[in-house]
Amino acid sequence: MDLRGGICMESIIYVTLVFLLVFCVMAVVSNSIIKSAIYLALSSAMLGVIMYVLGAHWAAVFEVSVCSGLVTVIFISAISLSKMKRDEMDKLYENKKRLSFLPAALIIGGVLLTVAAFAKDFRLPAAAAAVSEDFREILWTTRQVDILGQITAILAGGIALVVLFQNDEQKK
Amino acid sequence: MLITGFLMILAGCYCLIRTYHMLKIIIGIEVAMKAVTMFLILAGYMNGHMGLAQAYVITVIVLEVVITVIAAGVTIGLYKKYGNMDIRNLTQLKG
Amino acid sequence: MNYLNYAAEAFILIPLAAVILNNILPKKFMEDHFHILSGAAALLQMAAAAYIFCIMDINRMRHYSFFILWEKSTSDSGYFSVGPVALVFLFCIGMVTFVSVMIAIRTVDTKKISYVNLLMTLLIGMNGMVLVNDLFSLYVFLDIVGISSFVMIALYQSRKGLEGSIKYLVISELASIFMITGLAFIFMKTGSLSYNAVSGVLPADISDPQTILIYVSVILMIAGFAIKTGVVPFHSWLPDAHQSADTSISVLLSGIVIKIAGVYGFIVLTGLFKGVRAIQISLAVLGMTSIVVGALLALRQDHFKRIVAYSSVSQMGYILLGLSTGSVLGLIGAVAHVFSHAAFKSTLFTNAAALHEQTGTLEINEMGGLQSRMPVTALSSVVAFLSTAGIPPFAGFWSKLLIIMALWTTGNRVLAGCALCASILTSAYFLRLQKKVFFGPLPEHLSSVVEIKGSIKFIEILLTAVTTVVGLLFPLILVYLQSRGWI
Repeated sequence: MDLRGGICMESIIYVTLVFLLVFCVMAVVSNSIIKSAIYLALSSAMLGVIMYVLGAHWAAVFEVSVCSGLVTVIFISAISLSKMKRDEMDKLYENKKRLSFLPAALIIGGVLLTVAAFAKDFRLPAAAAAVSEDFREILWTTRQVDILGQITAILAGGIALVVLFQNDEQKK
Repeated sequence: MLITGFLMILAGCYCLIRTYHMLKIIIGIEVAMKAVTMFLILAGYMNGHMGLAQAYVITVIVLEVVITVIAAGVTIGLYKKYGNMDIRNLTQLKG
Repeated sequence: MNYLNYAAEAFILIPLAAVILNNILPKKFMEDHFHILSGAAALLQMAAAAYIFCIMDINRMRHYSFFILWEKSTSDSGYFSVGPVALVFLFCIGMVTFVSVMIAIRTVDTKKISYVNLLMTLLIGMNGMVLVNDLFSLYVFLDIVGISSFVMIALYQSRKGLEGSIKYLVISELASIFMITGLAFIFMKTGSLSYNAVSGVLPADISDPQTILIYVSVILMIAGFAIKTGVVPFHSWLPDAHQSADTSISVLLSGIVIKIAGVYGFIVLTGLFKGVRAIQISLAVLGMTSIVVGALLALRQDHFKRIVAYSSVSQMGYILLGLSTGSVLGLIGAVAHVFSHAAFKSTLFTNAAALHEQTGTLEINEMGGLQSRMPVTALSSVVAFLSTAGIPPFAGFWSKLLIIMALWTTGNRVLAGCALCASILTSAYFLRLQKKVFFGPLPEHLSSVVEIKGSIKFIEILLTAVTTVVGLLFPLILVYLQSRGWI
């Protein structure tokens, strides 16, 4: 990889990392749940970019489509199912002390990252010689146990949905 | 990049400790899981076994989604019982 | 050989078939007969474990690898395998599931189909955990076990159930995060995560920065498994989760889930990283504090199930002490204690179910003198207490003796002495429990209580018999296993 392409890739990664950290901290710190969910979706997108640049194409696609999409949809539906009135929500947070050490940690983290970027002269941790593997072959030939596990997990999730949302017949 | 990961996990745990809103707890768990996915991809990159790392990441994402769904379900059930999302209400089991 | 394959595949296929059958058959039929389906699955599991043990014993095999639904293509990490430790765990899983189903006949009144579905999913997860050969698959099945148990605790949507479920969920997810981070660091160093690749990866010198990474990851994994086991200081979720669930589910949780999720993880870790002093010391510390703190906290409780839950915390400490020795005797003691703990903890929860069904309450201050009205329950409770405290000739005596002997022979004399003295604490809180519930004056509002009938009585008698018989035959079992070369 020539030098220009190298610096371009490194700087993309560092910029994206900073954005990722910013969005995550905003998701945690923000007072409004909907904004937190949106920041979570944005940080999923940033993580997808990082994963794509590092070479994990399939995982990046999966992550962006599932976490940015499905999880955000779940959150928004959960929020809309549990709508609190505006004044109750404000009352919830009026006694809470705003500890500011987390934004301070964020700033320190950003400074550390920039320092590391300049100190290491724009080099990533050394990548080993890539064993060229097609990811789909790996998943289907050696990790079949995990596929069995995933199927069972999805089955359990389906049963859980049925159990958790069928409460209206037994009550009253 | 490890530093970012550690800060993300720290942010997730901070969220779990300080928040009063039940759905924020799930967001904290999600942020920490994203950090974990990033660690896995980083490990795959440094190792060369990107295919294996992608298989791990996809499995972890599937499990994470199922956990999120269940957590949201239980949270909504709690909302229906109590009327609001404050976790300070959960004081029934003491001792 | 083919029958061995069928029996081994049955561990995953039978629960799957049960789930499918459960949802296909008409609803009314299933609700009346749900215990037949799940009881049959549990019994088949016990039978398969015993059958595999017999065949492996006759042919003098020690390990057997097999595949389910597909063929072996590469030689790494894509398969299941059965070993001696796995067989004991599988048998215990079957036994505790059977007890849970028997209790559920009386206490589960609604949502029976969902109960069976979730129970079968839990079975698949637990069987998968002990059968795999790969650290990541271990994590996947561990998560499945977690998912099933969260939903089972919240099955009845009561306030307590949902609250216990969410507390367990949050703390368990924290444990999962620690574990995957540890796995990612180990993956950074080695190329894959199968047991063959990871074992022996810990070099002796500490100065190498990569070794520090491996140490950090091992510590993270120990923390993760410790949270799942419920040892001190990560025990805060355990009493809430075990108390707020329905009794048939508390049996599962306390009798087998904390052992599969936590103790089996520790067995795997000590098997992979043999002889690492740091792991042994940390396990010993965790174990000792769990025994003492669990017993002390149990003395203050007033709710039957909470006392039993804190007792679980204490007994897990014993198992960790046995594992921390790193010797074969310690491993045998730990696995034997897993079995005897499953037996007596199931007995205690069965008694809790009986008490709840007949008296309607579980606060021990409201009960008393029930020995005259419920003799079978009282007798099984006394037997369970004697087994917990380690009094011969019950099964608990032998397992505790093995653990203390393992501690003694590997040089940890102080720990052995402390473990022995901690038995006194165990006896203390159980004596208080027995005195308050079964002996003493009978209050008036309980004078019309009769003995529990039906399946719960049957289970109490069966478990008491199992504890006594295994206790009496234990030395013979050990001698037989040694002569056949298993140990």
